[in-house]
Amino acid sequence: MSVLGVAIGVWGLVTGVAMVKGGIPIPVALVMTFTAFAGSAQLAVLPLLALKTPLPVVWVTALLVNVRFAILSAASRDFFTRFPFHQRLFAAYLNGDIGSAVFLRRYGRSPERGTDEQIGYFFGLATVNWLSWQASSVAGFFLGGLAPTRWGLELAALLALGAVLIPMLNRFPAVVGVVVTAVLSVATVRIPFHLGILISVLFGVAFAVVFDSVRNNRPSARWPAGRVSDLMLTEVKEA
Amino acid sequence: MTVALHNWPYMLGAIAGMTVTTLMTRGSFFMLPESVKLPERMEHALRFAPACALTAILVPGVFTKNQHLFFSWHNNQMWALLVGSVVFAKTRNMLAMMGVGMAVFTALRLWT
Repeated sequence: MSVLGVAIGVWGLVTGVAMVKGGIPIPVALVMTFTAFAGSAQLAVLPLLALKTPLPVVWVTALLVNVRFAILSAASRDFFTRFPFHQRLFAAYLNGDIGSAVFLRRYGRSPERGTDEQIGYFFGLATVNWLSWQASSVAGFFLGGLAPTRWGLELAALLALGAVLIPMLNRFPAVVGVVVTAVLSVATVRIPFHLGILISVLFGVAFAVVFDSVRNNRPSARWPAGRVSDLMLTEVKEA
Repeated sequence: MTVALHNWPYMLGAIAGMTVTTLMTRGSFFMLPESVKLPERMEHALRFAPACALTAILVPGVFTKNQHLFFSWHNNQMWALLVGSVVFAKTRNMLAMMGVGMAVFTALRLWT
């Protein structure tokens, strides 16, 4: 759990620095981190906001980046169905990807769902994540101005995204989707309002789905699985 | 160009939408009654969306400069990502990837 706290802390710090480096005033950044509380979405919309991109495009971009949470939410749904609305909403707010992945790694296969122990573990883990994320983000807001641009700190944030992405490449269709997205995202980079992100994701997903459907007609030939990766993709299938 | 970032109504509008999408996605299945199921085709597509969305942010960030393809020996970020990815594949450690990647980037920046 401590390694996790440190990783989230570094990521939060980098995100905080990137936000103020991107020109967001500290008061706005504070509102954003405590309400939206979604690092990769915050980083993704940053260049859009600077260009005063129409809000619907900003929202759709945030939605696309956040869609992965729906998958995690599907995987841990059974644990929370017995709770009242406001508690489920609170759990939803806290249910970020790293914490959620760790929770599912521990309890994803347990037959009993929603025990006090599990819920206690979830909220304990989520609290540690939330605190280390917010503390380091806020530190980043105030330290951001001190770091020279040439240090290239925003690269650290991209590397963190890479560390989330790589375990998802455990199945061949996912690799196809990612390659298609990668090529298109560079090819469409000059399209206004970062609409290229949308276009490349839609085509990437479409290719992955088609490829997977074709493959599924053959007896299973699985891409060698990673560790966290199993969570991201197979748990959902079972849920 | 960054006037928009100081425009409170615009920024609050953006933040409100981001908060809603975060809660909508993280809570999507928590909030739905148990009987509701997504169409199978949509669930299928949902499985690949995260990887593609992350790629669409990561790849232009590393491989473009001023909205042009920047695929060259001189792209220090590319080497950082490459070495960092190899380290991550071996260790499964996000911190190691960030540390090694930044070290490679800084070394190339200072000595080339």
